[in-house]
Amino acid sequence: MYKTGATIIKELLLVLRDRAGMLVLFLMPALLVLVITLVQENVMKTMGEKSTRILLVDQEQQSIGQTVEKRLLESGLVEIVKKVNEKEAIKAVIDGDFQLCIIIPKGITRSVKAKARQVVMKSLSMDDTSTGKKIQRRDIAVYFDPTVLGGFRSALLNSLKLVIVGIEIDEKMKVLAELLPEHINMTIRKKMGSFVPDNLIKDIPGIKLDFNSDPLMKVKENPASRDAFDKTPTSVQQNVPAWALFGIFFIVVPMAGGLIKERHDQTLLRLLTMPVSYITLITGKVIAYVFVCLIQFTLILLIGKFLLPLLGSPMLEMGSDPIAVIIIAISAILAATGYGILLGTVARTYEQASMFGPISIVIAAALGGIMVPVYAMPKIMQEISVFSPLSWGLDAFLDIFVRGGNITTVLREVFLLLSFFIITMLISWVYFFRRS
Amino acid sequence: MPITETAEKYDQSIKEKALIIKGLVKIYKGSSDSALSGLDISVNYGEIFGLLGPNGAGKTTAISIMSTLLRPTSGSVTICGIDAVKQPNRIKKLIGLVPQDIALYANLTVRENLRYFGRICGLKGQVLKDRIADCLEMVGLEKRADQLIFTFSGGMKRRANLAAGILHQPRILFLDEPTVGIDAQSRNMILEKLSLLKETGTTMIYTTHYMDEAEQLCDCVAIIDEGHIIAEGSPKQLISRAPGHAGLKDLFLALTGKRLRD
Repeated sequence: MYKTGATIIKELLLVLRDRAGMLVLFLMPALLVLVITLVQENVMKTMGEKSTRILLVDQEQQSIGQTVEKRLLESGLVEIVKKVNEKEAIKAVIDGDFQLCIIIPKGITRSVKAKARQVVMKSLSMDDTSTGKKIQRRDIAVYFDPTVLGGFRSALLNSLKLVIVGIEIDEKMKVLAELLPEHINMTIRKKMGSFVPDNLIKDIPGIKLDFNSDPLMKVKENPASRDAFDKTPTSVQQNVPAWALFGIFFIVVPMAGGLIKERHDQTLLRLLTMPVSYITLITGKVIAYVFVCLIQFTLILLIGKFLLPLLGSPMLEMGSDPIAVIIIAISAILAATGYGILLGTVARTYEQASMFGPISIVIAAALGGIMVPVYAMPKIMQEISVFSPLSWGLDAFLDIFVRGGNITTVLREVFLLLSFFIITMLISWVYFFRRS
Repeated sequence: MPITETAEKYDQSIKEKALIIKGLVKIYKGSSDSALSGLDISVNYGEIFGLLGPNGAGKTTAISIMSTLLRPTSGSVTICGIDAVKQPNRIKKLIGLVPQDIALYANLTVRENLRYFGRICGLKGQVLKDRIADCLEMVGLEKRADQLIFTFSGGMKRRANLAAGILHQPRILFLDEPTVGIDAQSRNMILEKLSLLKETGTTMIYTTHYMDEAEQLCDCVAIIDEGHIIAEGSPKQLISRAPGHAGLKDLFLALTGKRLRD
């Protein structure tokens, strides 16, 4: 233990004095969490998590335009800015000032009403001089900024289509309510002729068809969490654990570099002639890096908890099982140190380790859902992603932070991370002694 | 002579010698040539034994086997009466190594380096502090003790490298070209300190390419080439055995040839 302690102190001193290593270990993940969370926070705003400002040009100022505006506002998706000039509005979208503009053309209210009447009369087989006449259809035009992402584009178009369907049903029902008593009257008269007393026909009640006042059913959104934990997933909930894991795994660079340096400058050679086992030396190294990474991880969580809210992002919620969070963090750190030891043992030069290490971590991070959620990946990539240690770590953190899980929920991921640590250490051990 | 008496005499001779190497052979994996082919060496306690030879002669391989870093293909190594091949962990408590490179942590001070290596050797508390102070004084670095190694000159680094090798007072010290690439002053100081160390009873196995160093320092030298000894004895004996050679350097070139070794 005394010799392990000596190695821990030596490693901590070396880490503290390695400025480039400190930047990789602390500044890089801190900046990544800050920048990416804030950037994605903005993307999520434009993706519909929060309302987006759009332009509305109502060229006729009648009921259709007013209904469209009212119902879009009710959807909570958008904040409407009105403009009069269509060209100016389109230019604002082209310039990137707004993501889209909606143009309500002149005559659309009249055209919709006339068409509704024509459709209803036709369906009731009523004579109408206008039935045969072609009524010119007026369409609502939408102009999108070409950079608007597909998901947000479809969400807005679907909302607009729903508004239009609602207006169509309203208009048709209004006409139906107006024409139905008349249609019944005409049908009775046609069948019964003079047998029908005049007062009977007058007594046919009018129909009031108001379909929007009270919906028959609604869609209620519920979080699929394990208990009453009700947190909406935000960029903070995804990014803080994701980039903290990324930072943890970046310790492979200074760690592997340190091992290679020890080998090259013969300090390891000197140590191997001393009364100390290789396991003691490696254990000291691993414990030192676990300690450093725990500080790094705590720093990232503090950024999510206190700094990001100051910059306008939501606060990081860490679930209700802090012990589970610590266990996941230590398991992930051990997996990373195992990989660092393996890389430092197998790589022949510092250049090899400093090239292969970061690239392999970026690939494992991409596969593990650090940059893009796993569910958004193609099927083949989803199947590969289950082999990424970063995916196990992230899944475990999200289980606690977002899905309301506890230690039993994440046992599988913890087991996988610890197995990865043991396997990488065993491979390093075998490789080291075969080469020695 | 009865067998038991012979065995007793053999045991006695083993105990009287600091190092006995017998029939040492080393063939590296994937190589058809042997790096060492039947090396025999015997070193008395308190002696400085010079291992001389051109590049690739097998000096570093021999030192690596003696210091338990490598296992021989065959042969035996006995250090202070203990079989170094079978009991490397016991041997590690008796030996010290001053490698060819500066085997120190460049981002630690010389004191921090010594403290770490001392702890690894099991030194603690006041004993460790005293040993660090003694070693620093011995190599003339007591005033630079808290300076980071990477800021040191080549000579200072070499002296610090030596201090780390002698910190735990090893009974046998292996020195692999400890004066390579440094100025005459530092080299002279290191040689003086090694002579002082000899007076304390430390046995040393010394490899070098500087023949004058070997001539000045070593009680006995072995010139090895292609894995086996081609001449052995005290520097004076070797020179006297080969008249016409001005010194060890001439003799060395005569024995090993002037062909370049890569």
